[in-house]
Order: sequence, then structure tokens, then C-alpha cells
Amino acid sequence: MKRARRSELALLAPAHMLLLAFIVLPAIYVGWMSLTKTSFEGSAAFVGFANYATLFGDAVFWRAAWNTFWVVNAVVYGEMLLGLGLALLAAGWMPWRRVLIACLIAPYAINEVSAVAMWRYVLEPDVGMVSWLLVRIGIGQLDWTADPTDALTLAAILSIWTHTPFTFLILYAALRAVPQELTEAAVVDGARGWAVFRHVLLPSIMPALLVALLFRYIIAMRIFAEIWLLTEGGPARLTEVLAVYLYRTAFRYHEFGLASATGLTMMLLSLAIAAPYLVHVYRRMFRHA
Amino acid sequence: MNTTRRGLMAGATLLAMPAIAQGQKRVTIMSHAVHQRVVTGAKGGDSTAAWREKNNASIEWLTFGVEAVHERVYREAALAQGSVDVAFLLERYGGPHIAPLFEDLGPLMAADPLEAPDEISPSMFAAHTYRGRSIGVPYRHATHGFFWNKALFEERGVSAVPTTFEQIAETAEKMTFTRGDGSRLAGYATSMDDPSGIMDIIRAHGGDFITRDYKYVADAPEAVRAVTLLRDWYRKGVLPRNMMTFKTEEVITTMQQGRAAMTNQPFGRYENYNDPKQSKFPGQFGVAPLPALSTLGGNGLVPAKTSVWAMAIPRNAPDKKLSWSLIKEISSPQNTIRAAVNGNGPVRMSAYDDPRVKELAPYSEAERRVLPTAMLVVPGFEQAARAMDIFMEEVQKAMLGQAEPAAAMKAARGRIEPLLPT
Repeated sequence: MKRARRSELALLAPAHMLLLAFIVLPAIYVGWMSLTKTSFEGSAAFVGFANYATLFGDAVFWRAAWNTFWVVNAVVYGEMLLGLGLALLAAGWMPWRRVLIACLIAPYAINEVSAVAMWRYVLEPDVGMVSWLLVRIGIGQLDWTADPTDALTLAAILSIWTHTPFTFLILYAALRAVPQELTEAAVVDGARGWAVFRHVLLPSIMPALLVALLFRYIIAMRIFAEIWLLTEGGPARLTEVLAVYLYRTAFRYHEFGLASATGLTMMLLSLAIAAPYLVHVYRRMFRHA
Repeated sequence: MNTTRRGLMAGATLLAMPAIAQGQKRVTIMSHAVHQRVVTGAKGGDSTAAWREKNNASIEWLTFGVEAVHERVYREAALAQGSVDVAFLLERYGGPHIAPLFEDLGPLMAADPLEAPDEISPSMFAAHTYRGRSIGVPYRHATHGFFWNKALFEERGVSAVPTTFEQIAETAEKMTFTRGDGSRLAGYATSMDDPSGIMDIIRAHGGDFITRDYKYVADAPEAVRAVTLLRDWYRKGVLPRNMMTFKTEEVITTMQQGRAAMTNQPFGRYENYNDPKQSKFPGQFGVAPLPALSTLGGNGLVPAKTSVWAMAIPRNAPDKKLSWSLIKEISSPQNTIRAAVNGNGPVRMSAYDDPRVKELAPYSEAERRVLPTAMLVVPGFEQAARAMDIFMEEVQKAMLGQAEPAAAMKAARGRIEPLLPT
């Protein structure tokens, strides 16, 4: 690989300085805080790994981690399937394509807080219109105020509804970029719908799919507004996710050391999820370098 | 006419000229919306009007929900420089760890005393004093009374207002029904975001949560009996189905819409419930002291849950003398009366003798009756917020049937005791 020249490094320096100032240094500070007992009083007492011991010994943390795991997977894979399906529809035959695409991406323009408030209202057990409709058509209510599984399901549906446009746009753009000659050649060779998708389209959009997957995993790991505004992690903290656990520790209990340990653990979990994809993308990019 | 950026800027400057010319000061208060309502309400008058004129100042109110106001105030006060002049704090969100964020009011009181400070109960000052540092001037007590909707009682043929807690339980079950049009009515509603709503029910049974000398007692038979009642109520639909998500705001809305028949809330909510602009049942709400179980004896009343809101000065407030002068003004005896007429729980007992308060706040006599025995939810300590969350977690588990009430309260002991001061 070619060595970078000084002038090239100088041109890259501002971006690296920004990363250092806004990502690396705060992360180091959070790392330091996670080893201390600190609140508003200012004095930070070094406690070693005591915060991590407290964190890993707390049953609520593990429940929050488990809730995060299943909500994030439901959200990310739900979005991928839905986004891919919609992108295939939009890239293929679709009447009033522009209008329908505008409708599909509209939820992304809605503020998360407004979206949750709206869903919360229409699914209110006693007076919600959608709740009433679900009962009338025999499905029954989503008991999200009392049943933790229903509450987490609703949070996942809400998150999918809000963020699918992101996945859709990436995949739609990738599908549109696939040269038409490729699909035409496959058809000439006798391939039909599923075979064209499996052997031509999917490999072509795989890099975009991985990028969408990676981004959504990292962002979904921080899921907060949907849970906080629906249930605040209740009832009995059974619907708490890691970001809500962190928020409660920092801003309700004012235990900044423990909150920092939670934040750092979340970051490491995100990194663990992202690592295989990053390695894959890196190898792919520099395979021929 | 073309609208240009330069033209817009010139217009904005012209509009701001009067304030600029007069050098008007701007004071920021961070609080719950109820404080703005009682301080500036039309019924009793604006407590800040004279002060604003005298000091050539305007007041900006930043209002949030109960928990959110504390979170924001603490974050703001932790900064090197701040812009909040006065903050309203509730004692159960405080603790010794937040005291350094606020000005010690002792020296300010010594240099420029409050008017008639002896009228305010020392225990209210004590609720905002940590390790000798007094950080708040008590302004509002939110003491709970028992509310019922007369129109709904009539609809269901209930003529007598309950005078014992046994009767409340009986009436709550009777008031739980579904109308012909499918609309459901819950017999009772209360908040579940912290223990303030259910403490009245536990104390009505003779139980408690944490005593003044920091002993956990919620696993005693009296408290367990109360939690068992809550579980049974929830199972039978006496409590609203979505009550696990109820905060004070949801209770207010539910009562105003006539979706629940009874509740325990601060006496001052009488205004919200009977206001024709806010409520579907104006003038139909009654309020009285919450009765205890008849078997408990005594005066027959629950030691009502009370909370004390106080005015504090963040340590980074830009002009602390100005902040103090506003606090003094708002807490003066005259303004305490004004606020009481606007629906505030007055911290000065003399306000209850005022004829305007007696006339315009018809619940004031009942409120005065319960004040001498009223109790805070928990005594203040550093881990109070965590202890309250654990308690609510275990109560909710019992209500959802995930644990037996006795087992849940015992489990709470194991988790809460290590947090209590020794």
C-alpha cells in the first residue's frame, strides 16, 4: 500500500481533529468516569471496576440488555424485510411511483415524540380508535400498558414504522443502480423472478444492504424515545432497554459513574455487533489494494 | 412590497426598542406549570406584578412535568454559567447530593429576612435542608384529599359520600361498570409513577413505606393488605386498565373526562376538576379528607401524603440578589393568599383565615384539618429516588400477579435496606 504524504496527512488532519475532539476525548472521559463514584457534588472518587460489578450484578440491567437484544433484532430485520420489499416494488412496476415513494418516506419526516404520542393515543385501551378497531375485527387489543411483551412489540412496530424509510431509500437507490443489462442477460439465460433476485439483484445490492444493516443496528441499539414515551420502562421496569436504564441512572439517580459504565458497555456491545460487518467491508474494499 | 432580510432585522429592532430603551431585566423561572398558574392566576391576581414594575423586569416561565423539571434544573445548575434565576424543587427529588448545586439561603435570609418566616412550618424548611444547608423557601404544599365525581355517583345511584376506607372500597367496586354504549368507568384512579398516589392507600390501612428514622416497614401486614387490595382492584377493573402508565397528568385527564369516579390528589386540583374550560363535569367534584379504615381508630383520617415545593436559587444564577428579592416577594403573606385563591396549597397557616381564601377555595378548611398530621412520601436521603423506584417496581409486580404481595414487599426490603442511611 502507498504511504501517505505529509501534505495528504495535513489535509486529513481537520477531520481527525474533529473526531478526536468530539468522539475520542469524550469517550476517554466517560471511560474515566466509569471508574469513579461521582454525582453533582463534583468530587470523583476512584472506585476501580466497582461500577461494572454493580452493573453486571443488577438483574434490571440484564433484563434491559435482553429487551434491547430482542427489540433491536426485531426492528432491524423487520425493517430490512419491509424496506427491501418496498424497494423491489418501487424499483419494479409501480403506478404513481413518485406519490407512493413520498408517502413511504413520510414517517421519516415525523418527529419521534409526535409519532409516539400519536400511536399512544390511537392505541389507548379505553378510547383509542385503533384499539377499538382491533377489537371490532376480532384481533383483540394490544395490551401495551400492562403486558411487557405487547409493550415491546408496540415499541418495535413503532420503530419500524418510523425508520423503514431510511432502509427503503438506501436499498431503492442501490436497486436503481443495478445495470439493467445484468437482469436482461439473466432473463435471456432463462432465469425467472426469484432466480434473478437471488443471483443478480441481491449480490449487487449486498454492500448497500450491509451498510443499511450496520447503521440501523448501531442506531437501534440506542432505542429510547419509543420506550420512554410509551411506558418509561414500566410496568415494574419490565420493558426497560439499555438507553432507558442509562438515562434513569444518570438523570434520576444522579449516579454518573454507573451511567458511564452503562454507556461504555453499550458502546462495546455496538462495536461487537458492528465488528464482523466492518471487517467484511474492509476486506472487500482493500482486497485489490 | 419586497420583504428583505435587512428590512426584517430593522423591524425586529424597532419592536425591541421599548424594552432596550427601558433596560428591562429578564428573569427566568423553571418550574411545573402549576406554579405559573398559582403565581400568576387571574382569580387571586398576579403575585409578581408589583415586583416586575418595581424592578423593571419581565419573567419568563419554563415549565415541565414533575420529573422533567428536576432533571433540567439539576443539569442547568451543574453548568459553569446558568440562566435560571429561580427554580421550584420538590423535596422527594432532592437529597444531600444535589444541595451543592443551589445557593445556601441562610446568609441571604440573615441579611434580608423573609416577611414573617415563623408562619412557615420548620418541618417544611427542614424538607429542603441538607447537612445544614438550606436551599429552598417552601412555597406550595401538595397535600392529598379524597375526590369524587357527584354526577357519576348519581348516575350509579350512590347517595352517600364514603366516610371510612371500607366504604371507599365498597363504592369503588360499585362505581366500576360498563355503560350500554361500551364506555367503561373505573371506580378509582391514582398515579403510579412514584409512590405518592398509593401511599395514601397504604397509610389508610395503617401501613407505611420508610419511617422518619429510615426503617423499611412496607412488608408489615398493614401495608401488604393495602397492596393486596390494589392487586384485587386492578384484576377486577376497579383501577383503569392502563393505570400502570398513569402519572399525575393522566389522573387529572381521566377524572376530568369522567372515566374514573374517585381519586386521591392534592386539594388544589379542585380547581382543575371543577373548571368548565378543562372539565366535562364542572362543579360536580367534591373533596374531603381521605378517611382511614374504621378499625384503626384515632380521628378516622389518613395521615395525608404531602409534598413540599420550594423556591431555590441555582448556584450559577446570574443575579442572586434579584432572585432572592423575587422569592421574598412571591412568598410574602399577601401573595401567599393570592396564590391560595388561585389553587395553591399555602405554606402559611394565616392564609386559611383569609375570607377570600375561605370563599374562593372552598376546600381550604378540609385541607387545614389534615395538615397537622400530613406526612411526606419518604424522608429525604441520597438514594430516595432509587428506593421509590424499587418499591413501585415490586408493587407493580404484585398488581400484575407476578409475585404475591407479601413476597414482593419482602423482596423490596432486601433491595431497599442497603440504600437507607444508617
